[in-house]
Amino acid sequence: MTLAAVRWGSAQELEEYRRNLRARRDPRARRVRVCIGTGCAAKGSLRVLERFRAAAAELEGGSVVGVRCTGCHGFCERGPIVVVDPGNIFYPGVKEEDVPEIWRETAVGGRVVERLLYRDGKEAPPARTPEEIPFYRHQNRVVLSLNGVIDPTDIDDYIAEGGYAGLAKALTMEPDRIIEEITRSGLRGRGGGGFPTGRKWRSARDAPGEPKYTIANGDEGDPGAFMDRSLMEGTPHAVLEGMIIGSYAIGSTHGYIYVRNEYPLAVKHLSMAIAQARERGLLGENILGSGHRFDIRINRGAGAFVCGESTALMASLEGKVGEPRAKYIHTVESGLHGKPSCLNNVETWANVPAIILRGADWFASLGTARSKGTKIFSLVGKVRNTGLVEVPMGMSLRRIIFELGGGIRDGKAFKAVQTGGPSGGCIPAEHLDEPVDFDRLTELGSMMGSGGMIVMDEDTCLVNVAKYFLGFLKEESCGKCTPCREGIAQMLEILTRITKGEGREGDVERLEELGAILSDASLCALGTSAANPVRSTIRYFRAEYDAHIRQRRCPAKECKGLFRYAIDPQACKACGICKKRCPVSAISGERKVPHVIDPEKCTLCGACYEACPLDAVRKV
Amino acid sequence: MPTVTLDGRPCEARVGETILEVARRNGVWIPTLCHHPALEPYASCRLCLVEIDRGGWGQVVTSCNYPVRRDLTVGVEAERPRRARQGVMRLLLARCPESAELRQLAGRMGVDSTPYPKVTEAQRNCVLCGLCVRVCAERIGASAIALAGRGVARAVATPFRLPSEDCLGCGACAAVCPVGTIVVREHPGEVEISPFKSRVKVRTCARCGAPRAGEGAIRALIRRGGVVIEEILAREDLCPRCRRTRLALDLASSGTRARADGEGGEVP
Repeated sequence: MTLAAVRWGSAQELEEYRRNLRARRDPRARRVRVCIGTGCAAKGSLRVLERFRAAAAELEGGSVVGVRCTGCHGFCERGPIVVVDPGNIFYPGVKEEDVPEIWRETAVGGRVVERLLYRDGKEAPPARTPEEIPFYRHQNRVVLSLNGVIDPTDIDDYIAEGGYAGLAKALTMEPDRIIEEITRSGLRGRGGGGFPTGRKWRSARDAPGEPKYTIANGDEGDPGAFMDRSLMEGTPHAVLEGMIIGSYAIGSTHGYIYVRNEYPLAVKHLSMAIAQARERGLLGENILGSGHRFDIRINRGAGAFVCGESTALMASLEGKVGEPRAKYIHTVESGLHGKPSCLNNVETWANVPAIILRGADWFASLGTARSKGTKIFSLVGKVRNTGLVEVPMGMSLRRIIFELGGGIRDGKAFKAVQTGGPSGGCIPAEHLDEPVDFDRLTELGSMMGSGGMIVMDEDTCLVNVAKYFLGFLKEESCGKCTPCREGIAQMLEILTRITKGEGREGDVERLEELGAILSDASLCALGTSAANPVRSTIRYFRAEYDAHIRQRRCPAKECKGLFRYAIDPQACKACGICKKRCPVSAISGERKVPHVIDPEKCTLCGACYEACPLDAVRKV
Repeated sequence: MPTVTLDGRPCEARVGETILEVARRNGVWIPTLCHHPALEPYASCRLCLVEIDRGGWGQVVTSCNYPVRRDLTVGVEAERPRRARQGVMRLLLARCPESAELRQLAGRMGVDSTPYPKVTEAQRNCVLCGLCVRVCAERIGASAIALAGRGVARAVATPFRLPSEDCLGCGACAAVCPVGTIVVREHPGEVEISPFKSRVKVRTCARCGAPRAGEGAIRALIRRGGVVIEEILAREDLCPRCRRTRLALDLASSGTRARADGEGGEVP
């Protein structure tokens, strides 16, 4: 199946190789694709893959069915995911014991195993392919188009799907033309800032100094976000291709990918991709005969959230403590080692090949007036379908949450969606029809961020949410500048008091005042945006703060101590389980008589609530 | 030559200078804690915030490290930067309520108290300005102390919080500390840099017994200055004061009078 590895001396040689490769590959070949992304692997996909490989090996006379490992499909909640070609038959939640049946029926027999297909709800008809699943149907996968399709450890798979054609085309263009194309496409930084990529490249190209550095930021640290991880794991070559194009455009010879060490699979796949690219002449001296020289090395981060900030990341690359510094002189002029450095998020880099190949006009046709292209979101929280979704910019929050996400779990009501990671804000239901767009989300008091999207239902206390994020940021603040170090701790102190029912009049005003100090006085974006979760929840859910402070009541019944437990006499069947579990003997009741909680004795531990098999213990 | 307009007053500036340097030269006071003219700007205390006009919108920047590249309109006493500075000062006061130096600076900034409780632990009023760490690294070249820990756990410390072997006992850290956190303690034949517990042997004056120089500093001096320094140090075992006394006695006994420069010589 595979051709001998060759080093391509020119774009023509690459194209010829691609033609040969495609000619040898049968589009109707039988193939089982098993996701080995981190999500599926955690659910046992590696054993599933082994079983399929064993089954293939058993077939006599060499298998006519190929078994391929792939990157993340995005629907990690339903993993392990197995897809069978031809037909793109989609099996979620595959267990080891399902393997023989899928192998016999679908892989060899070409028949669909109906009981293993995905159903969107109990009564819904089974979906055979991803296109029939609402989670996938409304997506527009550009960056993630090859995730779940190709084997991320095999460069030939990427080549066969058109990989490095963007690079080949770019190398025939003048560097200035490439920058023009990127500028015209309207691509903006996917890491959170939303800075126009073309403008950044232009500054980096024009900045004096040698060498220039090309850096990919893969230090994804937002709680609940895993877009960058899946991309690096699933299509590592797209990141490399984008970086090589960028390096040619700005005249850079040295590249770094900064990945956190908690992403071992991403590190592994990127390392393999870099080794393969070097072997084939896509990295190193005289890339594809163009005379351009560029190489990439990987740096593993130790996991500090602040190292996702560009200057802290560069300090970390230099081997120093990952602390940010002022950016009054931009990093494109003086970044890593004081040299011009062009840093982009991995998703930004992965967008580049398609823009070069398909043109700026195509890219600009997607999205809104000032936010172009598609964006990957990590849709998590209380939605029915969680996972990675790639949608055109401008899609409404409502569509993402209700059509792709399938709405709120367990029939609960939507309350808020938190976008942009720990520094983002919470957006309430009245703004659900707003489009996801860099500027619009900022106006709403949140931000695009790197694409985290946490959905919250009616049972979520927004004061508690604000406290959670502030707690995260307190841990992750580097402590260099006063407002971030001291201000976050002060805000957290107030929020902790409020959620314990010890709030005071004036606390909200004090939080607002501290938020203003943080945003005006902090050194880096971690500090300037740290108050966003608090400010946005005050803006949209002020009544909830007031209920905590004035009535000592948590309307969502999440903050312990700010609600009571009571037994519903209609629902209680007097089984006595709660009585047995109660550590302070606060529950009384005879056989066949509904039990009662004595509020004087109750310590609000919640043991009865957890224990009741009939859900008769209620929060009131 | 760019012009920096400070609260409406035009001042001449050189390209590459910081706003703070221009302000200081022109007698405009901007509070600072983590700034020292002998050290690279660090911009961590955030007390030197000013607002620059970006054409329609104002950006609050730290004046200690904002380089002047073209004409700038700067607001020092404008509402927004003043409030930000005072807010930062209130946070620092909450951290170090006992520091007299900090309270004095706060008073000059128009802040007389803080509404915030103490939520972070400061070792002896340390404001974490980092001056000690930077002077030890940048000027002394010893790097005996560093900022350890992250966020609220950040503290100036020696490696593993053990007495540092790299400490020269020079006391530069204590000299630059704006709040008196670091103290040089003298013991017989030794100095201690407190609170780091680093102790360094000290050579004393052969005549009066007063401390002369730390062994570490002498080693560093020899390392940099070479054999000459070593010879001079070997010959000389008196403190500066006793050297002058000896000179005076020598002169008196030889019947000559001192010249204005302190050296002996014939007076005509």
